[in-house]
Amino acid sequence: MITHDDELIALLLGDRRRSRALGRWLGTLEGRRELAAYRRTLGALEGLYGDAGDARHTIYYCALPTPIGRVFVAAGEAGLVRLSFRQSEASFVAELGRRLAADVVRSPARTADIVHQLRAYFAGERRSFDVRLDLRHTTPFQRRVLLAAARVPAGQVVSYGEIARRIGQPQGSRAVGQALGQNPVPIVIPCHRVIAAGGRIGGYTGGLGIKRKLLRLEGALAAAG
Amino acid sequence: MSVRSASLAELIERHRGELVGYLARMLGDRQEAEDACQEAFVRAHRAFGRLGPDANSRAWLYRIATNTGLNAARRRSHRAARAAEVDPDALPAAAGPSLERREELRAVRRAVEALPPRQRAALMLRQFQDLGYAEIAAALGGNEDAARANVYQALKKLRAALGGVRP
Repeated sequence: MITHDDELIALLLGDRRRSRALGRWLGTLEGRRELAAYRRTLGALEGLYGDAGDARHTIYYCALPTPIGRVFVAAGEAGLVRLSFRQSEASFVAELGRRLAADVVRSPARTADIVHQLRAYFAGERRSFDVRLDLRHTTPFQRRVLLAAARVPAGQVVSYGEIARRIGQPQGSRAVGQALGQNPVPIVIPCHRVIAAGGRIGGYTGGLGIKRKLLRLEGALAAAG
Repeated sequence: MSVRSASLAELIERHRGELVGYLARMLGDRQEAEDACQEAFVRAHRAFGRLGPDANSRAWLYRIATNTGLNAARRRSHRAARAAEVDPDALPAAAGPSLERREELRAVRRAVEALPPRQRAALMLRQFQDLGYAEIAAALGGNEDAARANVYQALKKLRAALGGVRP
């Protein structure tokens, strides 16, 4: 037997639509009182348990003009989650929200530190970044590759095979290339410093022109390279 | 080995946050939830070979996490002393200043702590983990109607804890 209580709960949880009988009951004093009580119950539950660690979080982003075009950065509580270029603002925001299940909010204030460091980098005044990274959305293998790439200093380049060797998978240079291609924070993790064997420049998700530009900026590539 | 275990590692990576959150809601204690989550992943490791290629892997992880969480809750109920360590009246910082609201939160928290563990699990799965009743049934055992009944029963008890409410 379905009670008004059950029907009301079903309505509030979105399990079913309001029936005529429920609608009539909700017009009574008892119905109004129970609706208020269940709403407060659910509100209290949300207040107590909504934020138990995995709640939908907020990611803050900002755009800055650079010599390689407009760069977007995004960071959450745990650190920098994304850096992107050659992308429209709308698609950057949409992709972030979808991939990280987050609310994405524009905030120059919350991204000021990384923006400041990037400006200095493009001005040639800074050669490495001091920023917390949130790489939770990468796989363990990608993370090993990315952290190995992060240790290549500005002004130097290494080959895909060398990164593969450094992470203890000497046969894995193709997988290394793929992992670098999905680098969520290019430039900050300098995947552009990883090139093909024999000094060929290899690939770059942002385009080879940008890869050359970055290497030139760092002095790893002659102006003609 | 490498292909399957790599994909289990990825699976765990992807769902770790929500599973810890779920276990924290179920057990009411973050540290206990982290421990239970570790234990659940060990179990997942052992059972991974039996997971069919077309299975809903998220629901499968929730089933393992639920079983682990229910075991942890059972162990705790044998250790009555433990209850003294968890302050059922401690409220989240964002609880707000209104006295009435604080009373309400306390009442609901006490009622959640008093729920049978399966009802609590069902409620959290429905309300916070975005699982449908079929998936909740798969996680808890039993059918969809039973899963729904568990959620509704839990909410009725929480509502009762509020007592009289002005419309």
